[in-house]
Amino acid sequence: MTVLQTLVDAVALGLLYALVAMGIGLVFGVMRLVNFAHGELLTAGAYALLLTNDMPLAVGLAACFGAVVALALAMEVVYRPLRTTTPTTMLVTTFAVSFLLQAVALLAFGARGRNVGVLSELNRAVSIGDLRVRWVTLVSIGVGALLLTATALVLARTDVGLQMRAAAMDATTAQLLGVRASTVIRFAFLLAAVVAAAATVLLTVQRPLVTPSYGFQLVIPALVGVVVGGLDRLVSATLGGFAIGFATAVLGDVLPADGRVFLDTALFLLVILVLLVRPGGLFGRTRAAWERV
Amino acid sequence: MRRLAELSGLVAPVLLLALVGVVGTFTSRSVQFQFRFALVMAAIVIALYVFVGSSGVVSFGHVSFVAVGGFAAGLTTVPEALKLSLSPDLFPVIASAEVGNAASLAIAAAVGGVFALIVGVPLMRLSGLSAGIATFAVLVITNNVLRNWEAIGPGARTLSLVPETTSFLQATVGVIAVAALAFLYQRSRWGRVLRASSDDPAAAQGAGVDIYRQRLLAFALSGALAGFAGGLLVHLLGSITTQQVYLDLAFLTLAMLVIGGFRSLWGAVVGALLVSGINSLLLTAERGLDLGIGEVTVPTGTRLVTLGAVMALILLFRPTGVTGGRELTLR
Amino acid sequence: MPDAMLQIRDLELRYAGVPAVRGLTLEVGRGEVVGLVGPNGAGKSSTLLAIMGMVPPYRGEILLEGRPLAGRKTEAIVRSGVALVPERRHIFPELTVEENLRLGLVGRRSRDGASDDLDRVAALFPVVRDARHRAAGVLSGGQQQQLAIARALVARPDLLLLDEPSLGLAPAVVDGVFEALAEVRAGGVTILLVEQRAQFAVGFADRTHVLANGELRLTLSPADAGDSERITAAYFGA
Repeated sequence: MTVLQTLVDAVALGLLYALVAMGIGLVFGVMRLVNFAHGELLTAGAYALLLTNDMPLAVGLAACFGAVVALALAMEVVYRPLRTTTPTTMLVTTFAVSFLLQAVALLAFGARGRNVGVLSELNRAVSIGDLRVRWVTLVSIGVGALLLTATALVLARTDVGLQMRAAAMDATTAQLLGVRASTVIRFAFLLAAVVAAAATVLLTVQRPLVTPSYGFQLVIPALVGVVVGGLDRLVSATLGGFAIGFATAVLGDVLPADGRVFLDTALFLLVILVLLVRPGGLFGRTRAAWERV
Repeated sequence: MRRLAELSGLVAPVLLLALVGVVGTFTSRSVQFQFRFALVMAAIVIALYVFVGSSGVVSFGHVSFVAVGGFAAGLTTVPEALKLSLSPDLFPVIASAEVGNAASLAIAAAVGGVFALIVGVPLMRLSGLSAGIATFAVLVITNNVLRNWEAIGPGARTLSLVPETTSFLQATVGVIAVAALAFLYQRSRWGRVLRASSDDPAAAQGAGVDIYRQRLLAFALSGALAGFAGGLLVHLLGSITTQQVYLDLAFLTLAMLVIGGFRSLWGAVVGALLVSGINSLLLTAERGLDLGIGEVTVPTGTRLVTLGAVMALILLFRPTGVTGGRELTLR
Repeated sequence: MPDAMLQIRDLELRYAGVPAVRGLTLEVGRGEVVGLVGPNGAGKSSTLLAIMGMVPPYRGEILLEGRPLAGRKTEAIVRSGVALVPERRHIFPELTVEENLRLGLVGRRSRDGASDDLDRVAALFPVVRDARHRAAGVLSGGQQQQLAIARALVARPDLLLLDEPSLGLAPAVVDGVFEALAEVRAGGVTILLVEQRAQFAVGFADRTHVLANGELRLTLSPADAGDSERITAAYFGA
C-alpha cells in the first residue's frame, strides 16, 4: 500500500461521486430543486443490471441506461407541480418520492441484498510499476473524466446547454427571452440520468451488493459534497462531490478502524461548518442565491 | 368573546386528540397499540410544528431530539445491571441513574431542550435550504454518535426492558399537554413575532425584531417538546434502537406535518393522525382485513408503497396540506 | 386605428392585493413609437411584464394584433414577435457577449436569416462584434445597454418593449442609445418605450402617455418636449 495507491483509488471514487453530484447540480440549476430521489436513479440502474445478470453485456447496459432515463423523465413529469411551491414542500416531496421508490423496490425485490455480476472481471488487478490497481479504478477514472468533459462541452457548445446555463443564472430573464422552462428542465434530467447510469455501472462493479436503499446511501454523501462545494454553481457542486468521494476514500484508508465509525460525524460537522462560514460553498464565489427563507 | 374565539384554535385539536384517546380504549389489544402510537406521533409532529410552523424553516433534525429524549428516558428507567450488561463503558452517572416514570419524562424534555439549544446557537443563523441541510447533518451526527459511543448509551444494541408506562391516559394527557404548550407559545408575543417575521423578514428586521433569538427560542422549546415525546415513545415501545429514531421517522414526521399543513396546530394534529390512521389500516390489511364480504389480504410491503404514494400525491397536489394551514376556529 | 399592434384595455394589476395599475387603456399602432413615462412605482414596468405574460392581469385585457394574450405563456408571447429589453438590462454577466446574443435568437420564429440579423445588430452596435468573446459583465453600462437591445433585436420582434433604457447612463451615452433606436424605428419595428426620465421619451416617441399612481394622466406630443412645466405638472398630479 503506497500513498500513490491510495490516491489513485481516491481519485476514482471521487470521480464517481462527482458524476452523482453533477446530476444533482444540473437539476438544481434549472429548477432550484434538491432531488433526494436522485439516488433512486442509481438504484433503478442497479436493479436493471441485476435482472440482466445472465444476458449479454450490451443488453445489461441498455437496460440500465433505459431504466435510469425512463425514471428520470418520469420524475421530471411528477415534479412539475413543484415549480410554483415553497422550498420546504419541494424538499419534503422529493424525500417522499425517494421513500416511495425505495418501498417499491422493497416490494418488488425484497430487503435482502443481491449481487450484480456485470463487468465483475474489472475487479481484477493490473500492475503498473509498483502499483497494483484494479481495472475498475482505471476505467472509473477514464469514464469519469470523459463524462465530465462531455457534459461540460454540451453545456458550453450546444444551444440547449446555453439555455440551461442561462436559466440557472437568471431564470426570469431566460424566460423573457423565450427559453422554455420545460425544455431545459427535461434536458437537465436527461443529462443527469445518462451520467447517473454510467456511474451506476461502475459503482456496481465496486459495490455489487444491491439493496432497496442502494442509491440513497450513495446520494447522501454526494449531496453533502454538493452543499459543501456550493450548490449554486455546477462546477462547484461537482468539485464538492469529487472532494467528498476523495476524502471518504483517503480517510477510510488512513483512519484507524475505531475512528472510522465516526467518519459520518466528521463529514457532517464539516457540512455545518461550511454552511456557517461559507454559505455559498467552499468553491462557490458569492453568497448563495438560495439563501432565502 | 374574542378571547373565546381565539381559544377555539386549541379546542379543536384537543377534542380530536381526546376523541382518539377515548375511542382507542374500546378497541382490541393490538389496535390499542396503534392508537397510542398515533397519539405519540402527534406529540412529535406538534413539537416539530412549534419550530417549523412559526419560523417557516424546515428541520430534519427534530428526530435527534426525539432520539436523545427517548434514550434519556429509557436509560434512566432501566436497572443498572441491565445497562452495564449492554454497555460496560457507560458513564457511571448514566449507569447508576434510576428514576420514576414522570421524572424520566421530565429528564427527556430537559435533555431534548438543552441539546436543541446547543445545536441552535450556531444553526439558527441559517435559513432556507441551508438550514434544512444543516439540521439534516445534525440528524446524521446524532445517530452516528449514539450508535457508536457506548459511554452514553447502548450503542448499536437494543435498549430493552424499558417500563411500558405510556398508557392511554399518559399518551392522551401527554399529547394534549404538548398541544397546549404549542398553542400558548403560538399565542404569545414571541410566537406571533416569529411568525410575522417569517412571513415578511424584511419588515421584521425593520421593526427591530431579532429573528435569530426568536428562532432559537422556538427551536429550544420545540426540542424540549420533541424530547418529551421521545420519552413517551420509548415508554410505549418498551425498547429502542438508534435506527428507529433516524431517517424514516424524520421523514415520516415531517411528511405528516406538511401533509396536514405546516402552518397550523390543527394541521399538525390532523396530518399526524391521518397518516397514522392510513398506516394502521394498511398494516391491518397486510395481516388480513375483514371487510364483511370476506377477508382481504394485501402483500407485505404494500403498506410502505401506498403510504409513500399517498404522501407524495398530497404533497404534489395539495402543497399547503389538507387543512390548508388554517386553524379550525369559530371565526 | 384598425391596424393596432398592441391594445391594452382597462388593465388592472395587483401585487398582494394592492393595485399597481388601475384601468390603463392604451394603443400602439403598427410602426408607431409610444412612450410611457411616470415616476417610480407608477406601474410602468408592471405593465410591460403583464404584456410579456409574467404578471397575470387582475382585470382587463391585452391584445396583440387583435388577439388576446390571456393565458398564453411568456415563451409563446416572445415567439409571436414581442421582445423586452428589461429594466437594468439583465444581461448575463458571466456569459460572453456572443452567448448573450445567441440567447436572443431563442425567441425567433425561425432561424432563417439569423446571421443577417446578427450582422445588422453588429452594424448598429459594433461592440457586440468587437467584444464578442469577452464576458458581458466587463462591458460598460452603455455597452451593456446596447447588448441588451441587440439581444432583443436578434429575436426579430415586431413589437419592442424598452424598460428604462437610459437608466444609470450618462447623457451622452443615452444620446447614442437613442440614435440607434431611431434606426430600429426606421426599420419598421413598433416600440413601446418606458422611461422615468421623461424628456428622452417625449422627444423620441410619436406620443407619450404619463402614468402616475397606476393611472393614465395625460398624453404629450413631441412638441411638448421642451415644455418641462407641463411634464412636471403631470407627474405630480397638479
